[in-house]
Amino acid sequence: MYFLVFKEVFKNIKYIFIALVIFFITFSISVTLFNWGFIFDVFQSDSASLLEKLKIFFSLYESINTNFTKTAAVYTLLINILLGINVAMIIYYIRQRRGGLNNKATATGLGGVVAGLFGIGCAACGSFLLSSFLVLFGAGGLIAYLPFSGEEFGFLGVGLLLLSLHLTTKKIKEPLVC
Amino acid sequence: MEQQNNTLSVPAAIIIAGLLIAGSVIYTSGGSTLNTNAQPTEPTIPEQNETASSVKLIDSTDHILGDPNAQVKVIEFSDLECPFCKTFHSTMKEIMREYGDTSEVAWVYRHFPLDSIHSKARPEAEAAECAAELGGNEAFWLYVDRVFEITPSNNGLDLNQLPIIAEYINLDKNEFEKCLADNDHAKRIADDLQDGINSGGRGTPWSIIVAPNGKTFTLNGAQPLSTVKQIIELALKEK
Repeated sequence: MYFLVFKEVFKNIKYIFIALVIFFITFSISVTLFNWGFIFDVFQSDSASLLEKLKIFFSLYESINTNFTKTAAVYTLLINILLGINVAMIIYYIRQRRGGLNNKATATGLGGVVAGLFGIGCAACGSFLLSSFLVLFGAGGLIAYLPFSGEEFGFLGVGLLLLSLHLTTKKIKEPLVC
Repeated sequence: MEQQNNTLSVPAAIIIAGLLIAGSVIYTSGGSTLNTNAQPTEPTIPEQNETASSVKLIDSTDHILGDPNAQVKVIEFSDLECPFCKTFHSTMKEIMREYGDTSEVAWVYRHFPLDSIHSKARPEAEAAECAAELGGNEAFWLYVDRVFEITPSNNGLDLNQLPIIAEYINLDKNEFEKCLADNDHAKRIADDLQDGINSGGRGTPWSIIVAPNGKTFTLNGAQPLSTVKQIIELALKEK
């Protein structure tokens, strides 16, 4: 079922493009999340050309090797790939049915993204999003009690996005009836 | 009507999730509480927004590798049990090989032990200060190098290794153990941590690159060598 639906959706290059754009945007956010201040300072500088500034920005993408654990790097890439595919398939579904969103699948996918975002960052250095979020509620110490120091949210994100993909695939496969 | 509610619920959920995430990020970069479990000297969050420019000026008490009068200074706040600090330590050593001899870059090391996730980081930081007390700046760097070399990170180093490391870098083991027992450097480490927080640090490694004209660039995490090199090249032009 999955292969046939994927083939049906991605035979149109427009949906491959959408998936790639979403992947690019979310991956960019993932690798630059804690350095927006740095990027701002670089782009404000008068001492570098725009090309040099862009080179600095894109060099941050290499931090997937240096600033993420191997596990975090894998689930971060997976979350971004799955999100791109999810969005492309949801858009295909909406256009095909000319109707509203598949709420169940979209909500599951959204849950996946939020859970995944919470797992993003370096679990060991204390600067990932979950710790920031817990601190917001005065519960920063909780992080020390999580068996994978917050990385479990990354796994949860991948699981929810897979579930969302499954639900969307099922919906696309359903016959068009009133 | 129900269909309309359903259609609206998803965008609303997206907006709420987005706001929560944005709020967390802004709160973290603007003035949140550092998560350090009960420690003898709890760091405090300054009332005003933290900025890199509020970092303590470099002085003779700092641990500096390279020419103290170098054009660009990299002030790194580090935790000896943080695996990303270990990675970044190698990156900075490479930077110093390339820019240190020409007095283009000096590397300043300050402590930022994340007690809640690395309870051994603070005793290790105190041990590094004892190395400095007994053997000076050179011994400090040798000690830090050795800790990063042998620790598996994430609290993996056996604290019994601390005097052994001191012996390894030719310090007097007994004197070193006495220094550790005296706990004289606790305030220095607490001050460094507070300085890191004041400058906006929330995790490690947290680095502030100071250009010749005083302009600062902050770098969060173990960024790759190419990024650090490019930002140093940019800082060198800021005159």
